[in-house]
Amino acid sequence: MAFLDRAARGLLLTEIVRGMWLTLRYFFKEKVTVNYPYEKGPLSPRFRGEHVLRRYPNGEERCIACKLCEAICPAQAITIEAEPREDGSRRATRYDIDMTKCIYCGYCQEACPVDAIVEGPNFEFATETREELMYNKDKLLENGDRWEAEVAAALAADAPYR
Amino acid sequence: MAEFWFTYAWPTIWIVIKILFIVVPLLIAVAYLTYAERKVIGFMQLRMGPNVVGPFGLLQPFADGLKLMAKEAIIPTGSNRVVFLLAPMITFVLALVGWAVIPVADGWVLSNINVGILYLFAISSLGVYGIIMAGWASNSKYPFLGALRSAAQMISYEISIGFVIVTVLLAVGSLNLSDIVLAQQKIWFFIPLFPMFVIFFISGLAETNRAPFDLPEAEAELVSGYNVEYSAMAFALFFLGEYANMILISAMTVILFLGGWLAPFDIAPFTWVPGVIWFALKVSFVLFVFLWVRATLPRYRYDQLMRLGWKVFLPFSLLWVVVTAGAIVAFDWFPK
Amino acid sequence: MPKVTVDGTEIEVPAGITVLQACEMAGTEIPRFCYHERLSIAGNCRMCLVEVSPGPPKPAASCALPVGEGMEIKTDTEMVRKARNGVMEFLLINHPLDCPICDQGGECDLQDQAMAYGFDHSRFEENKRAVKDKYMGPLVKTIMTRCIHCTRCVRFATEIAGVPELGMLGRGEHAEITTYLEKSLESELSANVIDLCPVGALTSKPYAFVSRPWELVTTESIDVMDALGSAIRVDSRQTEVLRVLPRLNEDVNEEWIADKSRYAVDGLARQRLDRPYLRVDGKLREASWQEAFAAIGERVKETKGERIAAIAGDQCDAEAMIALKDLMGALGSANIDCRQDGAKLPTTPRAGYLLNSTIAGLETVDAVLLVGTNLRWEAPLINTRLRKAWLQGDMRAAAIGPDVDLTYPVENLGTGPDTLAAVADGSNAFADVLKIAERAAIIVGMGALARPDGASILAAARTIADNCGMVQDDWNGFNVLHTAASRVGALDLGFVPGAGGRDVENILAGAIAGDIDVVYLLAADEFDTTRLGNAFVIYQGHHGDAGAHRADVILPGSAYTEKNGTYVNTEGRVQLARQAAQPPGDAREDWAIVRALSDVIGGGLNFNTLGDVRSRLVEVNPLFDQVGEAVPAQWAPFGEPGPMSSEILASPVSNYYMTCPISRASETMAECSREFVRNDGARTGTDG
Repeated sequence: MAFLDRAARGLLLTEIVRGMWLTLRYFFKEKVTVNYPYEKGPLSPRFRGEHVLRRYPNGEERCIACKLCEAICPAQAITIEAEPREDGSRRATRYDIDMTKCIYCGYCQEACPVDAIVEGPNFEFATETREELMYNKDKLLENGDRWEAEVAAALAADAPYR
Repeated sequence: MAEFWFTYAWPTIWIVIKILFIVVPLLIAVAYLTYAERKVIGFMQLRMGPNVVGPFGLLQPFADGLKLMAKEAIIPTGSNRVVFLLAPMITFVLALVGWAVIPVADGWVLSNINVGILYLFAISSLGVYGIIMAGWASNSKYPFLGALRSAAQMISYEISIGFVIVTVLLAVGSLNLSDIVLAQQKIWFFIPLFPMFVIFFISGLAETNRAPFDLPEAEAELVSGYNVEYSAMAFALFFLGEYANMILISAMTVILFLGGWLAPFDIAPFTWVPGVIWFALKVSFVLFVFLWVRATLPRYRYDQLMRLGWKVFLPFSLLWVVVTAGAIVAFDWFPK
Repeated sequence: MPKVTVDGTEIEVPAGITVLQACEMAGTEIPRFCYHERLSIAGNCRMCLVEVSPGPPKPAASCALPVGEGMEIKTDTEMVRKARNGVMEFLLINHPLDCPICDQGGECDLQDQAMAYGFDHSRFEENKRAVKDKYMGPLVKTIMTRCIHCTRCVRFATEIAGVPELGMLGRGEHAEITTYLEKSLESELSANVIDLCPVGALTSKPYAFVSRPWELVTTESIDVMDALGSAIRVDSRQTEVLRVLPRLNEDVNEEWIADKSRYAVDGLARQRLDRPYLRVDGKLREASWQEAFAAIGERVKETKGERIAAIAGDQCDAEAMIALKDLMGALGSANIDCRQDGAKLPTTPRAGYLLNSTIAGLETVDAVLLVGTNLRWEAPLINTRLRKAWLQGDMRAAAIGPDVDLTYPVENLGTGPDTLAAVADGSNAFADVLKIAERAAIIVGMGALARPDGASILAAARTIADNCGMVQDDWNGFNVLHTAASRVGALDLGFVPGAGGRDVENILAGAIAGDIDVVYLLAADEFDTTRLGNAFVIYQGHHGDAGAHRADVILPGSAYTEKNGTYVNTEGRVQLARQAAQPPGDAREDWAIVRALSDVIGGGLNFNTLGDVRSRLVEVNPLFDQVGEAVPAQWAPFGEPGPMSSEILASPVSNYYMTCPISRASETMAECSREFVRNDGARTGTDG
């Protein structure tokens, strides 16, 4: 009987028909595609995208050039040079991130004692040349100014879990 | 002069015009078949498919075509240049010439010859040469292996296709394709010859190197099969040829088993629709099943493919020829 | 020898040491902030608490408790841990949590010990105190809020540096370390308080925010800013030397270094010769090594050996000097000299140009006569040794020459050589002091020797040494104090005029007279270069200083941080300086330049590696094999007794902060000169 059963199934292509039936049902199901440049999926507050250097509300840059991010960076993508500013405070004269080296692990923002370097929600920063991915301090601060609202909201949203 | 005009020139021009009437819609159909393939597979995988170029992505095939034309044509240094360039042309031309005998509606056929089915059989068998030439001329491992597989596969399944056609011939009593269609006015052959229909359809998949029998271009092992070394328009010709072949096989399926241009029921609202529309709809349906199968089934292993061709389809179709012939003799069902 | 038990292990320790030291000997480290081996015991940080029995049932400060027979010391009990945690919590109450902007971050004692004894949050909810920063000069930056009042800096300034300008004012929360009058710390050792400070309250001002300790590559090397050869570690990042810190060497510098050694390194980045130059039509233009060598070769080939001369500078390594000496020998010139200041130093015996007492030995003297030297500026760390001798016992010091404050009482006998003669013939009362003293010493500075009658002064000093019994079997009190790091090495390898050769004075005279046509300056800048006449001058060195300005061909060499060099310090100790950075641009190691030049001018030196050069050094003088040791020299006759002029014996150093091409190029040193030396400009009254 088992032989007959198996032969009948094989000859009648039941498995193939069942498979075809499944794909046909999927054909009419609602599609899950997110129409990317026009629609975007939700991002976690912990999303680690493009780096930004933040400022305090009074416009003072947060970074104090403590170099902890530079030290912890596993890809050694960060380069910092520091100098006393005229008022004697410690500031970075150079803050470079090589975005081609960066592995977006987020250790830099974890290491930062003043929440200055943060990986913001922006992931659309593709460029046409490698050089454009060598970020300097100006570029990072400009990012910070552009993304401050989103970054601050994300940090606030994640704060209860830290 | 007048005699020349009416005897030679005008018929030639008329034939060229008729050829254009077949080839241009065919090429547009090929273009939209690629679009349909991506859409159908996309839908079955819960995706949208192309939807950016033009409304619903309808201009996508033209964008792809433009891209292929704008690309650099690369001829590998070690290749045999003449054969290398000849191969895609042969494939493409053979895919088109088959259409000379396809009746798309009653009397709508370029050449209504009496051995139409044999002609088709011969043309589709020749297709293997384009592939063999491409594989050999590329002077490269992957194309060569791909071409060998492709040739072996096409030859294997042509035999069972041959027997299927013999069965249909037994039922019709003519090699003329229009006669075959007209013979199905009472009942489409897919009902009495259902097993043969299935075998023909599956062999058709194998004959056109479609999934699940797309071994020649098995990406995982052969990169892309016999067309690895091709780029730009040469590649585009292969591509067009393959899809034109798909449509040809679908048209054969429709003619042999699904009643060609005939309406499903010979009653009022159905008969109002012109035969060419019915033909197009049926071909589209068969093509949809081609894509549907591709979206559903994983690729066969090469030995399984050969086993299926030689050990299952060949004896089975042979048996069915005997059964059909026996039934015709026994019950005196000879066609008039 | 009391026996004590530390955490169950019984050991025998010397009597009179503290419990903390006993624990160290037993291999148990005790956390501490205020305790320091070389400073007096304060016992005010309370971090070193241990449990001691017999004794009161409470933790005892181990740094201030002498060991007693049969003491049982426990360093790892619940009571000790709780006590230390408590102390740490108290310390952190007012310590700002600004480690990220603190230069001490990464090498901070408080940070390290907070890892062991700290708590992850503070229970202190009131406001932290803030303290106004104090001005301590151009070298020491203060962030007094971070201070934990260990008073190490106060004790260092008072005890070691001998400038009691630091102190603690106020009580309790109002306690502050201060300079009283907001003035800079007037000591050549002031920056050592930075190393001593266990937190970031005192940090290096020129190095502020420059780098983090983990970014630096450390190289152990030898300082060449004075003739002591202090052990230093050079911290560099990529090609830059960023800072210099002292290394422990009990025989030379203990664990201090002078400010110039520490801060002149920023001069290594300025005024550098990074490619060869050639003088064409009176102007220097950039050239390639080939062009420079070709120009030298052309000139040297048409010049006879005796018309060529070479002078070695004050910071040359022995390798470069032996290479140049061999090259000059091959060219047939005996006109070589290393005494560019014209010091009348004997070439033999070795005892005649060494600090025979050794630096550590000077700590034990009980009477010392200083001749023509300002120790604070010529060798600050020798001065601290003498100060230590004064603090420990009843050392009596007298000086002939400049009257300066050496931080301990010095009797000024006179300023001129006549006083020296008086001591020599016993007519000066101090001669008796020297005679009575068990360990008497005389220190002759370069100020006394670098003058025409230098040889006579040397002879007079020798007479004093002999007459006053300074030379005994285990003690030699005759000392020559050099100011040039290369000098003893040069004398040891014989970079002095050969038979019939000219010394510096005669080379310069010959150059003016036209008898010398080619002068090779090996980083020699400390003489009057206008006296080189029309000679063709080849300058090989690292800075664009006096010699380079006069040069016709400049060959860029390397500074002491950029080459592996051998230096012999003033007591005759052979030491190795190691390469910490690459020479800039096209510059090369000095001995290699001389070696390459020898191929062009046919000198045919046959060494190719540093090992070859060092073998050659040992061949010339086996002492070069005894790295790290000060080999005692045999006492033998030297000096030429003769008439002495009445000119006063001045120190050769007129500005401590600018004595060599490196320090002259240094911005920090320029600022120190402005602050400490010239005292001109706006600072007036009590402020100055």
